[in-house]
Amino acid sequence: MSMNRKNLDSEDTKWELQEFVSGWYEIPAAMTDRRRINGPPGGSSPVIFASSLGIGGRSVKRPSRIRPPDELRKIFLKTGLTPLASGSAYLELSPSANTGETCDSLAPSSSALKLTCAVHGPRPLPRSAPFTPQIQLSTHIKFASFAARQRRGYIRDASERDLAVHLETALRGVIIGNRWPKSSVEVVITVLEGEEDRWWGDETGGGTTGGSAGGWGMMNVLAGCITVASAAIADAGIDCLDLVSGGVAAIVKTPQSQHEAPDRDTDMGEIGKNGRLQLVIDPAPSEHQEIYAACVVGYLSTRDEITELWLKGNIPGTTSFSTPMQMAEVGGLLDKAVEAAVAVRLVLGEAVREAAELKAGQNRNNKE
Amino acid sequence: MAASKPPSPAISPPSLSFPRATFAKLSPHPFLLAHLQPPTPPSANTTPPHRPNGRLPTQFRPPNLHTGSLTHASGSSVVRLGDTAVVCGIRAEILPASNVGCAYTCGGSDDDTEIQALGLLVPNVELSTGCSPAHLPGQPPSPLAQTLAARLQSLLYATNLIGADELRIMYVSPPADDAGEGGGAEEVKAWWTLYIDILFISLDGNPFDAAWASLLLALKDTRLPLAYWDPDLACVLCDDLVANAKRLRMRRWPVASTFAVYSAQERGSVGGDGAGKWILADPDAFEEGLCRESVTVVVDCEEAEGGGVKTRIVRLEKRGGGSAGKAEIKEVVEMATERWRVWRDVLKGNA
Repeated sequence: MSMNRKNLDSEDTKWELQEFVSGWYEIPAAMTDRRRINGPPGGSSPVIFASSLGIGGRSVKRPSRIRPPDELRKIFLKTGLTPLASGSAYLELSPSANTGETCDSLAPSSSALKLTCAVHGPRPLPRSAPFTPQIQLSTHIKFASFAARQRRGYIRDASERDLAVHLETALRGVIIGNRWPKSSVEVVITVLEGEEDRWWGDETGGGTTGGSAGGWGMMNVLAGCITVASAAIADAGIDCLDLVSGGVAAIVKTPQSQHEAPDRDTDMGEIGKNGRLQLVIDPAPSEHQEIYAACVVGYLSTRDEITELWLKGNIPGTTSFSTPMQMAEVGGLLDKAVEAAVAVRLVLGEAVREAAELKAGQNRNNKE
Repeated sequence: MAASKPPSPAISPPSLSFPRATFAKLSPHPFLLAHLQPPTPPSANTTPPHRPNGRLPTQFRPPNLHTGSLTHASGSSVVRLGDTAVVCGIRAEILPASNVGCAYTCGGSDDDTEIQALGLLVPNVELSTGCSPAHLPGQPPSPLAQTLAARLQSLLYATNLIGADELRIMYVSPPADDAGEGGGAEEVKAWWTLYIDILFISLDGNPFDAAWASLLLALKDTRLPLAYWDPDLACVLCDDLVANAKRLRMRRWPVASTFAVYSAQERGSVGGDGAGKWILADPDAFEEGLCRESVTVVVDCEEAEGGGVKTRIVRLEKRGGGSAGKAEIKEVVEMATERWRVWRDVLKGNA
């Protein structure tokens, strides 16, 4: 999708093509990448903890969600980390409260989402580029190699490209593009620490992140990306309709024992012998035994508009979302995701306002 | 004082001078020169010349550190020098002896070659994180990223920071018979491989010092889990208890300091050898763009008796131009020693 936007002759495109190809066919890094320092030619293997194989008698407990179903994790959002970029932001979700035994283990049970975003532009397109009446938006999302439990490659893979496309749709609807004809803006996000797809104890020997059917962590990452990009775009001073914020909600299985005071808002009925379906916002995948469906929205709260919607999963007992009852379930999930986005928007608004006040103060000082 | 004046933008005549930022952009070279040149005539009470960023020519940016913030890395650090910010994460993986192609025989004390021959330290630098407008993603690693990674790797090997025995995973075969006879032979079953990834969050000059400092800090922060060879599964298993993990022991703490040499002579012009030159410590991106020559000194000091330090030069790199002579190099090494002291104090405060 990025090929038609770029000059086909440039080195850039060749590399993109190469990246694209190697993303699909998994060419070993040692064979292709001659511009980086590669590891030992024989290849090394990730660490295997004896406790994850059940050896040694130590058992590890799954972290459990102790926040209420309609509470977000704490968000830290700050703008202006990259002074040389036109706009930048950093977002961190604090890990949910530890169960107490994580501190003595090297394999942490929960991880925190950490994202940095830099916005470059708007800047003029090169003379050779064809005329565009709208601003050209390009988004890049890259996971750092130490972002997940499994080491990630340096070249963007399919799941990262997919996330970037989702982000682009979310942002395209917000930026007032026709104010900058013949110019481009780049949104670059680096994931320093990603969300996990499931609890590591459930992975029997080298689970993968992203791309697979599970990929629940990706939804949280996308919501974080939307929020952090929105803050960075505001920091860059690019005109937008509103601040777009990302929210996630999921339908999860909660053990009956933990399910106190079933409230009508989040409870979705019984499943199996001792579990209940529950709607939660901002799910941390490692805290839930089973996630059935999840939904991400990019939401403009003052205009009540959704610019990006990504819903996936399957509610048990159903195979499609065709009957009215199931439509209601989808509606409920969507409403919860919007609710999450509205709550995130409060943090986002506060961070942007703080940065703007700081900037205004500086400008006043400079004038004096 | 300025506030007491009534603002009268409408009456004031159009100013004929540029604001600072415009001057810097239009003619950067004279801008820097105007800052560095001592005032004429020299008087006692004027302040010494400052660089455009407000620092003295020999003043470094104070380092700001943080370690151990990444969950999935064995060791991590964040280093901030002014507007240059670097994140370094180290991931330890296991290289089984069976994966080493040619039968490698480790010679016990033969430390220096073992790590290098097996390639156990793998530093990589990522600049395309949008850290500055010059480095945008979608492109292969830039020449700067490649040279930085190569320089870091060669310095890592040259300084011999980590002993090979730290990275070996040994196996002592159990006694063959009941009497405890036989066996007991030590065998290297695997090695730890450290993937060192350095990401620039923000780049405002002097990438090497920041990258090297973050690398050292992350190495210092690295904890390797207790690893053992499991003969039944025929693989290396690890214990996830923090209490059993061990920190990497670093033999020394070499500090890198980079200086740019700025000469009053404009780029490209010939002659005029007598023009002034300044040594700027820890240059930022604006100064780096104007200086042709730069010197990187890596020093490793030892505290001698009586409060002094004994300086050892580990590496000296000088690029582009020959205006810095013996005297300047000597001066630069002295400043690098001072810088080593600063880092020592910072680390003591941090630890």
